[in-house]
Amino acid sequence: MNAPLTPIEILLVEDSPTDLLLTREALEYSKVLNTLHHVTDGLEAMAFLRRQPPYAGKPRPGLIFLDLNLPRMSGHEVLAELKADSDLRTIPVVVLTTSKTEEDIVRSYEHHANCFVTKPVDFDRFADVVRSINHFWFSIVTLPPPS
Amino acid sequence: MRAVAGCLQVLQRRLEGKLDERAVELIGHAVDGAARMQTLIEGLLAFSRVGTRGGDVKRVELELVLATAIKNLSAAVAESGAQITHDPLPAVRGDALQLAMLFQNLLANAIKFRGEAAPRVRVGAVRDGADWRVSVRDNGIGIDPEFFERIFVIFQRLHTRTEYPGTGIGLALCRKIAERHGGRLWVESAPGQGADFLLTLPAADPPKADPP
Repeated sequence: MNAPLTPIEILLVEDSPTDLLLTREALEYSKVLNTLHHVTDGLEAMAFLRRQPPYAGKPRPGLIFLDLNLPRMSGHEVLAELKADSDLRTIPVVVLTTSKTEEDIVRSYEHHANCFVTKPVDFDRFADVVRSINHFWFSIVTLPPPS
Repeated sequence: MRAVAGCLQVLQRRLEGKLDERAVELIGHAVDGAARMQTLIEGLLAFSRVGTRGGDVKRVELELVLATAIKNLSAAVAESGAQITHDPLPAVRGDALQLAMLFQNLLANAIKFRGEAAPRVRVGAVRDGADWRVSVRDNGIGIDPEFFERIFVIFQRLHTRTEYPGTGIGLALCRKIAERHGGRLWVESAPGQGADFLLTLPAADPPKADPP
């Protein structure tokens, strides 16, 4: 599948304003045209994806970047709920986290994360990783048809 | 941390006027990040030090402990207009420094997680067999019962740091101190109804015939 001409919609679930800024910076280097949507916790993520107020008019993202370390509802809980939802589970979820613990990796895949990526501390490498993720999911992979 | 934050701030000064908005924002994040790392390291050190057994167990007057904690929080108390009152408090057996840390954390939370009104905190104690059950009750935002256990897990927070600053170590530290004293720490609360943190500590004196 070729890279789409319309921007792809990405939902970033991330509570750290610093990591949000860095992810935005990294996405600017991506060759794939993208629109980044952002929520700071799991409850907001579910509301966004279900298009509940205040997210009523929001688009369905083609990809979700999910941090694990979130307040109120952990990334693992979000993942479990997403993958249990028959409508939302077809959206690929990239767990994008500072964690590299085996427990987090195993749990993420057990909850059907599409993949697990540890964020590099070095920004250049982080930008490369984000670019690779986008290239893989939007230029190489065939995504499910829009529902 | 001073090296990191300091150099960044000097850099910002030297480049005054030559940096775009995004660059200034990034430097701000870096400086904040350094400060947060500092707080995190301090918190983790305190947390790990509680574990080492063998600290002297002595008679500790809780009124003195509370006074120390309040004094350490004088800036936050003044800034928030907090009023901290207490019933007569007993003597317990334990480590004065650790207990001061425990009360300081509970009071700091009571001040931080305040509602519209200025924080009102009441500290009381009730005899419970060989223990005292101490209560630190505030008039703040309260906690949903769903999260009563989660808040004591290290690094688990209920808010983003833009909503309320914090490392997620404080209550884990408090519970660890309580347990090291052979006691328990738990909370009773409801959203919007303030929170009552309850703590059992071993009494230093045998029970009196009359209540204190």
